[in-house]
Amino acid sequence: MIARAVFAVIERELLKLRRQRGRLLAAMVRPLLWLLVIGSGLAAAQSARGEADYQSFLVPGVLGMTLLFGGMLAALSTAYDKESGVMRMLIIAPFEHYWIVIAKAAGAMIVALMQALLLLVLLALLGFLHHAISVPMLAAGLLGTALTSASLGMLIAAWSGTLDNYATLMNLVIFPVFFLSGSLYPVQHLPPLLKLIATLNPFTHGVDLLRHAVVIGADGAAFSVTVDIAVVMAFSIAALGIASVRFSLDGVNEPLVRRLAQ
Amino acid sequence: MIEASGLTKRYAGALAADSLDLDIPSGQFFGLLGPNGAGKTSTIHMLSTLIRASAGEARVAGFDVRTQRLEIRRRIGVVFQELALDRTLSAAENLKFAGLLNGLARPEIARRSAELLEIFGLTERRDSPVAALSGGMRRALDIARGVIHQPKVLFLDEPTIGLDLPNRRAIWRYVARLRATLGVTVFLTTHYLEEAADCDEVAFLSSGRIVRRGNPRLLVEQLARYIIEVETDQPAELAKSLEPRLGVALIEADRLHFLYNAEPADLGSLQSELAAVASEVRWRRPNLNDVFLWVNRR
Repeated sequence: MIARAVFAVIERELLKLRRQRGRLLAAMVRPLLWLLVIGSGLAAAQSARGEADYQSFLVPGVLGMTLLFGGMLAALSTAYDKESGVMRMLIIAPFEHYWIVIAKAAGAMIVALMQALLLLVLLALLGFLHHAISVPMLAAGLLGTALTSASLGMLIAAWSGTLDNYATLMNLVIFPVFFLSGSLYPVQHLPPLLKLIATLNPFTHGVDLLRHAVVIGADGAAFSVTVDIAVVMAFSIAALGIASVRFSLDGVNEPLVRRLAQ
Repeated sequence: MIEASGLTKRYAGALAADSLDLDIPSGQFFGLLGPNGAGKTSTIHMLSTLIRASAGEARVAGFDVRTQRLEIRRRIGVVFQELALDRTLSAAENLKFAGLLNGLARPEIARRSAELLEIFGLTERRDSPVAALSGGMRRALDIARGVIHQPKVLFLDEPTIGLDLPNRRAIWRYVARLRATLGVTVFLTTHYLEEAADCDEVAFLSSGRIVRRGNPRLLVEQLARYIIEVETDQPAELAKSLEPRLGVALIEADRLHFLYNAEPADLGSLQSELAAVASEVRWRRPNLNDVFLWVNRR
């Protein structure tokens, strides 16, 4: 029974993705811009290393970026559902409200993964995947980063009521998370405070897993695979748990129910 | 099918529902009537397990609203004041989504959704996005959405609000067909009282309390045989002078309402008698609006 409901939520996200092709296109343009424009620019600035090297370093970062923006869709789409009528359908359906959190997170994860896979294909075609790639590590990295991003999205969605609210949160959350993640520069070389923040940032560990998979060499991964997986799992379980508790609280739903019903 | 005793909802000290007692048998068409803010929606939300009661208890379809919420949600349909539809999906896609959320199998959803689209006159628009449907069609689809899982109880919270008369009538025809085909118990709230005239039982809610209940036809009959309306620019004085003959008046701005139970033959003489002091005098049969006005009279 519950499987049908969860699947329906995921199916709806995929249907929307298919109908809004522009979103998919935008999801490809953003990382490619970083890689080709900013990547080239920054590589040119640091003359010590070659352009190809820095761009290779950026590959896991832009994959992570795609997953982060895709996963944050969990929050955007939940905010949309609260504003439109869909959340009414979800809260009156015969399952516990934490399933809404799980289903929305799963939907966002799948959409994010599809975007990342498409980007991977583009990156391969553009010749950016010239190193040996560990496929199991890549799968772990993609899944871990998608899970982290979707969990973060749901954590935000549990607290944000409206789309306006959501835009503010996006700006407050998504850019710090991305910039302090080791996506653009190696965590090892950051000043101590920033390094500490980056180490505590769960997204750092998702990107680090991706780096284990696609980059081999001096600027490779900053942490061990075990640490990365442990942080990603711990954060995701905690974030989804907190979001679920909040979604299930009467005190939280009451204002929502009252607002939805007006 | 719905039983409540002492059901109470308190919001920051204010009582939205004040010890409500309900006993609604299976298949009944029940109307909870009252002005905006009387506590109708809070009552529906308590009964549909979306909010918890501050005190009292209630059972819906045999289950406790506090401890058996999912059992209840499986057996009820709720049509909120605002639409519960995805505007970007088509009519059929919305029904499918709602069916899956309720755990129905796809072939079953396809069958019921075809039936419901037919009942609600939406067969031709099954593939139109909700955003392209008219207000009346959206509301019809929303009710279809609420009954896709064949609930035992259907809660309709102001289902015709914001619709024009033809669409309102269409909605009531659909609800009548649903009741005839599914035998569903309907719990309606509305402040268009004429729409509650077909209810088996109505209860008037005022500031969270049920102040009068009964069969709407009987309530109207019991109120009076006729209502006399007198328009005047001195309502207070005229009310006082007519009180010995016509009883206590209900004063509504410059209009006096009197309950009249004697023979209609006397009305003619009364009219000519009042012609000097009143700008207009007329009499008519009472309706539910009159019951409402007299119930809420201060």
